[in-house]
Amino acid sequence: MSCGNSARCGKCGVCLAVCPVYKVLMEEQASPRARIQLIKAYESGRLPSSKLLKELINKCLMCGSCAANCPSGVDHYSKFMHMRAEMAKAHGDRIEIRSLVYLLAREQRIKFAANLAQKGQGMIPESLLKKCSFGSISADRLPNLNIKPFRSSMGETIEPKGECRGTVVYFTGCATNYIFESVGKATVGLLSQMGYRVIIPKEQTCCSIPMLYHGAVDQAGDNIRQNMNCLLVEEATSVIVDCPTCGAALKKEYPMLAERYGLDPQAVNQLAEKVVDIMSFVQEHLDILELQPVSKPIPVTYHAPCHLKNVFQPSEQLIRHIAQLDYRPSGDALNCCGGGGTFFYEYPEISARMSKVKTENARKTGASFWLTDCPVCHINLHGQLGREDMLQVAHPVEMLYYLAKGTAAKGDEGE
Amino acid sequence: MLNPAVSKELVDIVGRDRFLDQLEELTCYSYDSFLEEAIPDAVLFPVSTDEVSHIVQIASRHGIPVTARGAGTSVCGAPVPVQHGIVLCFTHMNRILEVNTRDRYAIVQPGVINGDLQKALAPYGFFFPPDPGSMNMSTMGGNVAQNAGGPRCLKYGVTVDYVLGLEVVLASGKVVRLGSRNIKDVTGYRLSALFCGSEGTLGLITEIIVKVVPAPVTTKTLMVTFKDLDDTAESVADIIGSGILPAAMELMDKMTVNAIEDAVHLGLPREADGSLLIEVDGSEETCEREIRQIIEKVKQHGAVTIEEAATEEEKERIWAARRSSYGVFAKLAPDIVSEDVTVPVSKVPAMIRKIQEICAHYNLTAGILAHAGDGNMHPLIAGNRQDKDEWTRVWQAVHDMFAAAAEMGGTLSGEHGIGLAKSEFLPLVMDEDSREFMQVIKKAVDPGNMFNPGKFV
Repeated sequence: MSCGNSARCGKCGVCLAVCPVYKVLMEEQASPRARIQLIKAYESGRLPSSKLLKELINKCLMCGSCAANCPSGVDHYSKFMHMRAEMAKAHGDRIEIRSLVYLLAREQRIKFAANLAQKGQGMIPESLLKKCSFGSISADRLPNLNIKPFRSSMGETIEPKGECRGTVVYFTGCATNYIFESVGKATVGLLSQMGYRVIIPKEQTCCSIPMLYHGAVDQAGDNIRQNMNCLLVEEATSVIVDCPTCGAALKKEYPMLAERYGLDPQAVNQLAEKVVDIMSFVQEHLDILELQPVSKPIPVTYHAPCHLKNVFQPSEQLIRHIAQLDYRPSGDALNCCGGGGTFFYEYPEISARMSKVKTENARKTGASFWLTDCPVCHINLHGQLGREDMLQVAHPVEMLYYLAKGTAAKGDEGE
Repeated sequence: MLNPAVSKELVDIVGRDRFLDQLEELTCYSYDSFLEEAIPDAVLFPVSTDEVSHIVQIASRHGIPVTARGAGTSVCGAPVPVQHGIVLCFTHMNRILEVNTRDRYAIVQPGVINGDLQKALAPYGFFFPPDPGSMNMSTMGGNVAQNAGGPRCLKYGVTVDYVLGLEVVLASGKVVRLGSRNIKDVTGYRLSALFCGSEGTLGLITEIIVKVVPAPVTTKTLMVTFKDLDDTAESVADIIGSGILPAAMELMDKMTVNAIEDAVHLGLPREADGSLLIEVDGSEETCEREIRQIIEKVKQHGAVTIEEAATEEEKERIWAARRSSYGVFAKLAPDIVSEDVTVPVSKVPAMIRKIQEICAHYNLTAGILAHAGDGNMHPLIAGNRQDKDEWTRVWQAVHDMFAAAAEMGGTLSGEHGIGLAKSEFLPLVMDEDSREFMQVIKKAVDPGNMFNPGKFV
């Protein structure tokens, strides 16, 4: 992919049709085309830097659908990332966002904060939680944190069950490490069952995407270098991710940033080639996937995360293929849920308008599980459901692992 | 900048949320898909006819230009507010008010996206034929104002052929309803047609009644390649001339196919000098028969490969690729001039030769694609506005193409409109009296020259 050049935007407007934010607001200034034109005006000195300019640039999910569908090959994603950094430098960011960036820059800080938050969660009375909200999500609908970071509770190498077919590296991402350990257990469990030795490098750290979105370009460099140093294990044929955004970072952003951070271009490309999301990996190895029969297929529906559909492929095909699942399409599986990293926190109204429609359509399917591959989509969609909803959000790998184990025990995915 | 008192009057109507006047926001309404840009003084998003009428009255009282805008996907600069003033953006008036397939019409607000109307009609087995390349984002108001076309207009006709009635806000603020919901209606002048292609220079369209038609039972799509572009064009003229009427017939030269292929990797044949994308629709039997006839014809003209799309997905991919062609070209050069010159179909081979000749003469690179079946050419000329010499040659080439088309009985624009792009060339195809007649109408309807001033009339 060519590096972003806003001069080559032909202003055709194809991006308007695929931008989730434009589709909600229906105003040009909320479109990818407008952001590209604004960046062009800013860079040529026709438009000064301002808080409003920052706002217009940031009111974006960074879902990448514009870039993935641009006939002119404009790389909106990198352009926006760069511009966000400029704007954050000039006009600062909210304290919460700055704190997030600070935490993610050092694994020790994330660990410390997660530990503190985990202890705190148990102490706040539920009645109070119900009254508070975090962006578009009521505080009592936020997930609990892992008691112990997932990576601390696992060995660095997990041997396969039975004959060894190969070795893979597992990049867990922060969400699995600190929030959704059940996803990590399912990923490791399924891979072991399929005969793969799983290596979870201890030195891995935040992929740095949240920092890049919020302009912390220098801090991001340290993380990227640290990950580059530990993820390329020679005998491993694949680097597995369970989070599509981490996957998109390793596969697309690292190569793009190689020059800037002085990374070895060969190593970066080698890593990019190895990176695959867990469901695509399973799809490629369907012949060795052994699932237990069920008395009645489990009704499930699906939501395709933007970074999965734009960088990898949606898991829909695989879910449809599995006889133990009664797949009930919602009709809008490919539409964005409005999560977008911290978007649901920064722009709760816009985000809620997207997730509301999705939630209604998912309910109508009558499914028991709403499968989705991305932790932010998970948090966002779960947050929009109510206590009375029978629909439970889960990563498809959790479902597969549950079926592979063939026990009635549901693993640890419950909230 | 608007006078603060005027701004206040306008905000009183639409509220602060639907009124933009900051430079950052206004910049986003300074362009469409054409090259020229101009920043408005304010942008308003009306949600009702009543609001539009009130805004127009204020603008009229203060002599402020008013330019209508939909999704801003025009390729001729039609919604670019060259004399600044107010841009009225209709994207919030986007409700489908009625779908009535028994009486074969639909009523929509101007901000409804063409593709959304198609989606609403599909469950009834109906469709709205005009399918501009921008159909997934462009608005119905824009389609009417520009009298939009598209590939399948070869068989079905363009937007004006489907407009039964319009609600329009005039310069006085008065609201008129033109036409009706009847397929047949010869009551008075067909005034709704006057607003089709008016490009926002006569009034503001606030409601549209369109004719809808049953969707064909089946479609078949062929991709044919030729060694020679001339053979490609000759076979188009021959097929149409012999009485076969495909739904669409798209011609692409080698450069266009390669540009599309580079961007979307469809597996289109890169070596062929000319390719034809042909679609027929109707009953199973009709399609079979027409496909057979077409295959026979293209073979006579030396077709090298003939392939039929096997699945619906494959058809959709081919059409998506074709629709992307305008954007695809933007990658090739800093600036792209997309022309729209149109000739009678029998003149297609001669016109294509002429376009090649002109580009060679001025030493320019251009891709040729065309809705060839109706003679609608889209030469896409690559250039760089910073390169004064090259840019002069580009416009000389455009002029020569228009002049050549005029000589063949052709016209300036098949479907893009005149806007800013082609107003200087109007005398080539309209004599003085005809242009004066157009001005008489404009003066009578919009005496203050308030609506979209600075354009072709």
